[in-house]
Amino acid sequence: MKILVCIKQVPDMESKFKVNAAGTWYDTADLAWRMNEYDEYGVEQAVRVKEQVGDADLTVLCIGPEKVKETIKKALAMGCDRGVHVLDDNLSSREPYEIASMIAEFATDKGFDLIFTGMQSQDRGSAQVGVLVAEILSMVSVSTIVEFSYDNGVANVKRELEGGVKALVQVKTPALFTCQLGLNTPRYPTLPNIMKAKKKELTSIPSTDLLKTEGRQHTEKMYFPEKTGGGLVLEGDVADLVNEVVRILKEKTGVLAR
Amino acid sequence: MNFELSEEQSLIREMVRDFAESEIAPSARERDEEERFDRVLMFDKLAELGLTGIIFPEVYGGAGADYISYAIAVEELSRVCASTGVTLSAHLSLGANPIYLFGSEEQKQQFLVPLAKGEKLGAFGLTEPSAGSDAGGTKTSAVKDGDEWVINGTKIFITNGGDAETYVVFARTDKDAEKHHGISAFIVEKGTPGFSFGKKEQKLGIRSSPTLELVFANCRIPAANLLGEEGSGFKIAMKTLDGGRIGIASQALGIAQGALDEAVAYAKERKQFNTPIANFQGVQFQLADMATQVEASRLMVYMAAYRASAGLSYSQSSAMAKLLASETAMKVTTQAVQVLGGYGYTRDFPVERMMRDAKITEIYEGTSEIQRLVIGSSLTR
Amino acid sequence: MKVLLVAEFRNGTLPGSNSELIGFARKIGAESSMFLVGAADKLPPYEGTLYLADAAVHGEFNPDTHKQLLLSVIDREKPDMVVFSHSSYGWDLAPRIAFALRAAQVSEVVDVVDGLMVVPVCNSKLRRQVQSKTEMTIVTLQAGAFGTAEEPTGSPSVETVTSEAGSRFSFGGYEEAEQGGVDLSKSEVIVSGGRGIGQADNIAMIAALAQSLGGEYGASRPVVDAEWAEHNRQVGTTGQSVSPKLYIACGISGAIQHLAGMKKSDFVIAVNTDRDAPIGEVADVLVVADLKQFVPALTDKINSL
Repeated sequence: MKILVCIKQVPDMESKFKVNAAGTWYDTADLAWRMNEYDEYGVEQAVRVKEQVGDADLTVLCIGPEKVKETIKKALAMGCDRGVHVLDDNLSSREPYEIASMIAEFATDKGFDLIFTGMQSQDRGSAQVGVLVAEILSMVSVSTIVEFSYDNGVANVKRELEGGVKALVQVKTPALFTCQLGLNTPRYPTLPNIMKAKKKELTSIPSTDLLKTEGRQHTEKMYFPEKTGGGLVLEGDVADLVNEVVRILKEKTGVLAR
Repeated sequence: MNFELSEEQSLIREMVRDFAESEIAPSARERDEEERFDRVLMFDKLAELGLTGIIFPEVYGGAGADYISYAIAVEELSRVCASTGVTLSAHLSLGANPIYLFGSEEQKQQFLVPLAKGEKLGAFGLTEPSAGSDAGGTKTSAVKDGDEWVINGTKIFITNGGDAETYVVFARTDKDAEKHHGISAFIVEKGTPGFSFGKKEQKLGIRSSPTLELVFANCRIPAANLLGEEGSGFKIAMKTLDGGRIGIASQALGIAQGALDEAVAYAKERKQFNTPIANFQGVQFQLADMATQVEASRLMVYMAAYRASAGLSYSQSSAMAKLLASETAMKVTTQAVQVLGGYGYTRDFPVERMMRDAKITEIYEGTSEIQRLVIGSSLTR
Repeated sequence: MKVLLVAEFRNGTLPGSNSELIGFARKIGAESSMFLVGAADKLPPYEGTLYLADAAVHGEFNPDTHKQLLLSVIDREKPDMVVFSHSSYGWDLAPRIAFALRAAQVSEVVDVVDGLMVVPVCNSKLRRQVQSKTEMTIVTLQAGAFGTAEEPTGSPSVETVTSEAGSRFSFGGYEEAEQGGVDLSKSEVIVSGGRGIGQADNIAMIAALAQSLGGEYGASRPVVDAEWAEHNRQVGTTGQSVSPKLYIACGISGAIQHLAGMKKSDFVIAVNTDRDAPIGEVADVLVVADLKQFVPALTDKINSL
């Protein structure tokens, strides 16, 4: 059995962000980087399937500059067998379709039975790449899974819907799944596995070898939203206040739309 | 010269920090208040991660990592909970390390392997009511009787005491020898008849780490449990403490870093006169001093750890690291409480705990005064 | 400008997010039509053409057939934009459509400025203005971004659509949300009570408001210390840190310990009699009122919607 898990390196979301000189993305200098949280669940699920079936080969793939190797090492220390680094120094200008095309180009004819990706990245947050990879590969895909089980070519999963409701879905492999937070409990890489990770294979591929499409959208500018806090003060008759708050809830939050 | 962590060291830091923040930190306040040691959380989970034998070779159940990795692990645990940091440090540096350094192959298989794997918790019994900084004053006695040693006496202030299964205990085996030469080291297991535990100390800080008395009353242990040569106990104790200082220095470093992080976060958040207090130069100067001292400690701690891994002498280096890091921890935690003001003095914020925890690092495993003696004598020898 | 709105039908009901699709079309001044895999006896309020496929035949969750149904409607309508909610239905189906049509997909649109789509980056810490380079554009809309004060009305003119497409998915039904066990960190709406609730019995009105909004209730430290609420509901440094979409703080003055636990909330409404309470500093809206009158009135109003 062959498994692929796709991960992304993202800044710690607690970081102090600055807009870059071109005004189109955040400045990537002086940030702390880590594995995209959603992808940690993907890595964990892939490792669990490998442990379950025994005879499986698990590849972890990450696109980005040289420093994403640290994140690949973490995935290797969590239990992936081999790493693939798609070296791309221009990651921040790549839109989801370009990323998906590169992954699909790599995966073509490799015979992966299962592919896991995060449901979205914490920085760009498009929630497109996983499903697009599957579409390009003509593979079945289920997004936003919070439960996964595999047996003999069949995957039973639960998708998370709004309001805590789950949808039960069954598909046959080969298939791709995008992982939602809470799918499992990602393991900490143990000391012995961290020590072993450095001996595992890590291949580098230049992105130019895989990128055969053009972007379909581009960022005109990036900026900080205006501060909303310290906001509106409402006073007056209770009935009027209630109507005003309901209006605000409808306009500013999605909570009455459920 | 290279100031960058290796890939493994960075991964270890990330892993231990994630673990410490998500698993250890949430209960740190409560465990401190209740003076409660949580064996599963504070030791068994460390074992699962491979931290309990981090510096020992794989053949002895360890992870084969270096001393810097060990220092990083203790630092990151102590950053959120100094009690957890000292649990690991006392287990590894004091309980397991002397067996690794001085034990026979049989002793390593029998005692070190389960300690390194974290199946057993280790502790170290040196201090006595009348022998603290002066280990040569040890009064606990061990008398050979056939195939056994018979131990009598009391040890005090034993970290991990009561909960640990394996103890390295020092006792006088030759009353007539010059005071440093008549001491020997023994491995004593919990449950041995005649070995019991006295009162649990109620402490100012590290309250989630148990500190107990060990009481030996005609406690008979096999002759094979003599660690190293008869009469070499003082040397074993001093060598062990050289390594232990790296652990305590790392603990102090972690406490200081934790307090600095809390102070910075608070200063950015807290508004007075309509502006975050971080914007006031007076607060910035305080934070700058704190950060500089923490960074200086870190360099010295990692330097001592590097020397230990590289096989260089590190007695002086580890004494300097412990002296600087522990005094820094005390200063920085006190300043952190000051930055947080009235809130810092309450138990709603962790800096008061950090301040209480910091004090012990100037005392145990050699007081600051003893560190100065060690450093001074190595300079003037 | 012509847009096709992709409405949703889930577990036999029409979620309120459908009206936001209409809000978006209004906001950009576009001519619209709507697509729905739903039921003929549960039509969304809408003035215009609704292409309706029967969920009883085509399934509520079936990306393969829904994709084919939607592609056939797109082929007839030839819209400039296909608009989804950024929901479990929308973000799943939209990329499938985008790929099939070689179209750009812009996700989680919160606004449209000078013809450019605005999307959040890094948990909404930053914003990005995006230009599509393809003739047709697929968009998904962030929940709440295009809410309208007035609910849409009217009834659509229905055109029925069907598809013979097969499916690789086997849908096994729904599993309802679990009851019991409080995990505030996962709750999207939290209504918290503070010292201002006055007495133990009043926690019930806080809980009732939370329930009307499909959320959980929380409490500040004094309320928990007084044993008016359980400790697992405490928000703050000594309780839980939460980051819901909506946080309503009732009778909470805003001690720094409490603020530290809830300041990451997306939208904060504070109800307090004191207009100078520190909670006002982090609140998007401060309602100056007696919570004992305001909270039950708001609950009644929401339940009547």
